[in-house]
Amino acid sequence: MSTAGIILSDANRETQNGLIQDRTLASLPFGGRYKVIDFTLSNMVNAGINHIGITTTRNYISLMDHVRGGNVWDLDTKLSGISFLPPFGSVRCQKEYKGWLEALQAHVGYIEALEDEYVLFTSCNYIGTLDFEKMIDRHISSGAKITALYTRHPLHQGATLPIIRYSMNEDGFLTNVEKSLQAPADEDACYGIYCFVMNRTDLLERLYATSRDGESSLSQDLLAPMARAGEAAGFESNATLLFVEDIPGYLQSNLELLDWKVRKELFEQPQLPIITRAQDSAPGHYGDDAVVENCLIADGVKIDGTVRNSVIFRGVHIQKGAVVENCVVMRDGVIGANARLAYTVLDRRVVVGEGRSLSGYITHPFYLERGTVI
Amino acid sequence: MIKKKKCVAMLLAGGQGSRLSPLTRNTAKPAVQFASRYRIIDFSLSNCVNSGIDTVGVLTQYQPLELNDYLGNGTPWGLDLRHGGLHVLPPYQAEEGADWFLGTANAIYQNLAFIEQYDPEYVLILSGDHIYKMNYDIMLQEHIANEADLTVAVIDVAPEEASRFGIMNTDEEGRIIEFEEKPAHPKSTQASMGVYIFTKKALVKYLTQDEQDPDSSHDFGKNIIPAMLADGQRVYTYLYKGYWRDVGTLSSYWQSNMDTISEDPELVLHDSRWRIYYRHYHNRPQYIGATGSVRRSICGDCNEILGSVESSVIFDNTLVEWGAEIKDSIIMNDCEIKKDAKVYRAILDNQVIVEEGAVIGSDDEDAPLTVIDRGVVIRAGEVIPAGETVLKR
Repeated sequence: MSTAGIILSDANRETQNGLIQDRTLASLPFGGRYKVIDFTLSNMVNAGINHIGITTTRNYISLMDHVRGGNVWDLDTKLSGISFLPPFGSVRCQKEYKGWLEALQAHVGYIEALEDEYVLFTSCNYIGTLDFEKMIDRHISSGAKITALYTRHPLHQGATLPIIRYSMNEDGFLTNVEKSLQAPADEDACYGIYCFVMNRTDLLERLYATSRDGESSLSQDLLAPMARAGEAAGFESNATLLFVEDIPGYLQSNLELLDWKVRKELFEQPQLPIITRAQDSAPGHYGDDAVVENCLIADGVKIDGTVRNSVIFRGVHIQKGAVVENCVVMRDGVIGANARLAYTVLDRRVVVGEGRSLSGYITHPFYLERGTVI
Repeated sequence: MIKKKKCVAMLLAGGQGSRLSPLTRNTAKPAVQFASRYRIIDFSLSNCVNSGIDTVGVLTQYQPLELNDYLGNGTPWGLDLRHGGLHVLPPYQAEEGADWFLGTANAIYQNLAFIEQYDPEYVLILSGDHIYKMNYDIMLQEHIANEADLTVAVIDVAPEEASRFGIMNTDEEGRIIEFEEKPAHPKSTQASMGVYIFTKKALVKYLTQDEQDPDSSHDFGKNIIPAMLADGQRVYTYLYKGYWRDVGTLSSYWQSNMDTISEDPELVLHDSRWRIYYRHYHNRPQYIGATGSVRRSICGDCNEILGSVESSVIFDNTLVEWGAEIKDSIIMNDCEIKKDAKVYRAILDNQVIVEEGAVIGSDDEDAPLTVIDRGVVIRAGEVIPAGETVLKR
């Protein structure tokens, strides 16, 4: 009984920030060498999901460039495949879709053509190493029409973004779905994650119905009615789930990787490897005066200065005398001699000139957009 | 219908590399790991790809298992092509019997059928034993301009070292007039790099002729080049200026690794115009702890460094515990250097465990290298004197 996967590569409609201005949330770099979708794809592949569709709307060039045919995840075999599902005009969807439900509605054709019995569909706004196989098993054994992932311990979920809260009964079924802008007061609250398993035929039926009625909210129009009808099971994940939807969350989630427990859980479960596309970088090079403390450092770097409590991506060059603390420096960044950076998120190819000094705070990081030259 | 290839490369990867033992105990020399993430053969293969040569036959013989596994279908080098690409060519049995490759020339002779499939005008012959970054296309252009039958790549070596190499004596135009294998009194300092471009017609002719000669040792240097010179064929040198090392011994292997670590390294790995490709293993980035320090070194992925690393080459997935010290050493994959252990001027093969407080080698600059074989466990507090080789039983 096989399961197909659908990845909703865009951010939530409400999410807007520099990090996803020119890219999908799915192709947001994370943890020195990964992109968010590496976790989603790896989780799916590790659960035996081998037909995967990726819905996109805008700025998906970097995503396509990264995923390509999926060969890195062994998804380009005779028995597997990746399909990109970009927007297109059709009878059901005459304008570019905006939300996640609309994206699914637009691509019913893809879902109809699948042969798998179940479909696991998920957003890309969280990072974690998850055992989707257990979630699928739970879906099958519970007899629910939909199974929804939730956690009681979300890390760094953006304070300005809406939160989905599930109310649960004793049997582990959802009784209500609430969307609010305020974090729940009780510690035991169940935070909904946009990750669901459904029987493919049930999913299609719901997509036809919601599309006919002009409904467009995944949580309110698809999940909530099913929860109220007692058809939605919950699946609690105890895994570390990191959120990267806003810039403070992005910085804090990256810095979580400096904790060995998080690193071990995310990257060192032999049955749940997280795979990314390699780039033929040279080994990391550490100069005579390099000082590196509590850092996660990718390959292809050249470190001649001082780096503390930071995540450094491939190809970054930190020149002599520079001091980088509590920062995320994405690919090919150059930190000039004697520059000082603290609590700063540097997007790709940022150049910080000699002696420049920049600082944010952990809750309000300074963000430098792609290609900035200071 | 066959589509012609202009130039096909034949890479001799059967080298036993016995002077590199124990690194070559279970693997052929071209598959020996190098500089944090590469294998020696990656340099020749990447040179081919970067020079626009997309058809490479790799001739294997000695301990081919690890090498074959590493090469696979050539995907890491972009050589998994419909037409051309990477092909592993092991010795084979034929109707007349089975033969090991008897010499470099015989190895190519036995695979002439492979070359003919692509009907190339030129054949590049390489070995997978050397560390260098070379554009073979420039050499090919010279070969074509000279209307040569054979072009031999040479480097300028120090006069006192010349007698260790095959030395080419040339006229002003670079045409070889005399070839001397390891001469006692070398007349020039142009040493053969073991890189040859043949015009295919000449290659087929001389290999076939050599095959008939029962006294021949079927070697390019000893037999083929002298025969072509004797016949007055157009044999030229191509002078290569750049980093080239044979890494034939443990000390030259160690030195060549160390040539990558300084701030202005002799061997530049971080070169976006001439990347060296390699097979990737899916590892996370490395972590350097608050108690760790890494200086004048190169490192691969997935290491956890909580101790001190200086002037060293660290591969992947190694743990360096708090208080441990590594200096002037090469540490390959999956090693563990436990608390307060010291490793000086040493080569540690994969999966070596150095327990707490053990000391390997000596910090003395002139101390000989200490080598620890794959999978050896050095017990807590044990001292391995400099110059020792510890083998896995």
